[in-house]
Amino acid sequence: MSEGRGLVGWPARHVRLCQALLYAAILTGWEILPRTGLVPRLFVPPLSEALGALFTDRREYLGSLPTTFFEILASYAIVCGGGILLGQLVGSSARARRILLPVLRSAYAVPLVVLYPVMMVWFGLGSPSKIAFASIYAFIPTMLTAVAGVAALSPALAETARAFGATRAQQIVYIALPASLPSMVAALRLGGALVIVGVIVAQMLGAAEGLGFLITRHRTLLNSPGVYAGIVLVLLITGLHEILLRRLERRVAAYREGA
Amino acid sequence: MTRALVAIRGVTQRFGPDGAAVTALESIDLEIPDGQFVAVVGPSGCGKSTLLSLVAGLRMPSSGAVLCDGEPMTAPMPRKVGMIFQEANLLPWLSAVDNVAFPLKLRRVAKAERLAAAARMLQLTGLAGFEDRLPHQLSGGMKQRVAIARGLVQNPAVLLMDEPFASLDEQTRMVLGDELLRIWSETRKTVLFVTHSLNEAVYLADRVVVLSARPGRVVDDVAVDLPRPRSFAMTGSERFGLLKDRIWQHIKSAERR
Repeated sequence: MSEGRGLVGWPARHVRLCQALLYAAILTGWEILPRTGLVPRLFVPPLSEALGALFTDRREYLGSLPTTFFEILASYAIVCGGGILLGQLVGSSARARRILLPVLRSAYAVPLVVLYPVMMVWFGLGSPSKIAFASIYAFIPTMLTAVAGVAALSPALAETARAFGATRAQQIVYIALPASLPSMVAALRLGGALVIVGVIVAQMLGAAEGLGFLITRHRTLLNSPGVYAGIVLVLLITGLHEILLRRLERRVAAYREGA
Repeated sequence: MTRALVAIRGVTQRFGPDGAAVTALESIDLEIPDGQFVAVVGPSGCGKSTLLSLVAGLRMPSSGAVLCDGEPMTAPMPRKVGMIFQEANLLPWLSAVDNVAFPLKLRRVAKAERLAAAARMLQLTGLAGFEDRLPHQLSGGMKQRVAIARGLVQNPAVLLMDEPFASLDEQTRMVLGDELLRIWSETRKTVLFVTHSLNEAVYLADRVVVLSARPGRVVDDVAVDLPRPRSFAMTGSERFGLLKDRIWQHIKSAERR
């Protein structure tokens, strides 16, 4: 409601201007610092060289995108469908929360990257192993976010609905589901970001195609501009995801409690 | 005297794992005739709200029974009893008119019919023109008006109000109190009104039931013989002061213990 002005009474457009300047400074630094020799070019090539490599090998990079997107979307469906559904179920039962939450939290602490070689053995070098790994990698945090969202719902609205004669099913459909929509979008946002990381990392660790595979191949050839061209594409994908999910978040803002 | 619309018979409510840890209410007997406005007051934690949730059918008493229109309340009966909570508890994603229509939606009343009924109730509570506002676009007092409209929309015989004005500022409470009296005189509901404000209790009610500290028992049942319609000037009258003082003596001794 008070988005028009910042905390110190600063107009929002000043804040946005500062953010734009910050982004510009980062991009300019990326271009200039390697050229001055302050940062070795092998570690970070200038931005223009990365973009140049991206343009020169555009066929190869664009060709890696269908596989990458397919793997991301497939894992996304598994994680967000399954994780959010299970999160809703577990979150709405105090007993299930008490039994499962400690288990899930300790599972979350396990560095799941160690499982990737196992996935390769089970599912081979192609997409299934990437989808399996990214799904497992993102599933638990997504589910935990969904559980926390459902558990945080105040019982007041459900009690009100009950006083007006709502059945258990009506309480879920008319109260619990809409009230938890904002936290489900939060779970979607986290799950999506982790799925992208999972797919790219899996492709880097062992694959025959995909964006992560290209990044690794250029790295072994010590072709830094090629590596950074891939990184630029990864940034674009995560940026796009972030923008879409923020829009979705604004749309469900009306469902937030406390109104 | 008219028949008792709400009868609370020997109601005791215990809480705790074995049902014996805390006794919230003990042997409550109350008969509330049709159309009476009853306020329930008592020291904090005396089980006022528990009593209301028993009458609402939201929970069952450990012993005794609550009868509404001769029928025992074993589950919420929204067509007989409308409930208004301390917080408006509106669904934040629904407009004012949809919030008021919500109890009808639960009963699968046709859309046109339930929206028409809800619009009438908003008119009654002075919110005509605000039908399409979302709750966060309404002030605290307006939200509580929406909640009152929602409580009235099924035309229940009994209206239960659990400290409905407690989270509002003083001026808004006074305005809403007068509004409630106007609505009550137009609809002639039986009202059970829990409050911790003695002014509010004496100003609004026909009768003030005073509960003791935990376990809550009825320690006094005061008939408010001030004429109606009530006016703000009466709050300064000697009679008003005497009634308030009589109730205060009970609360004071209970709070001191």
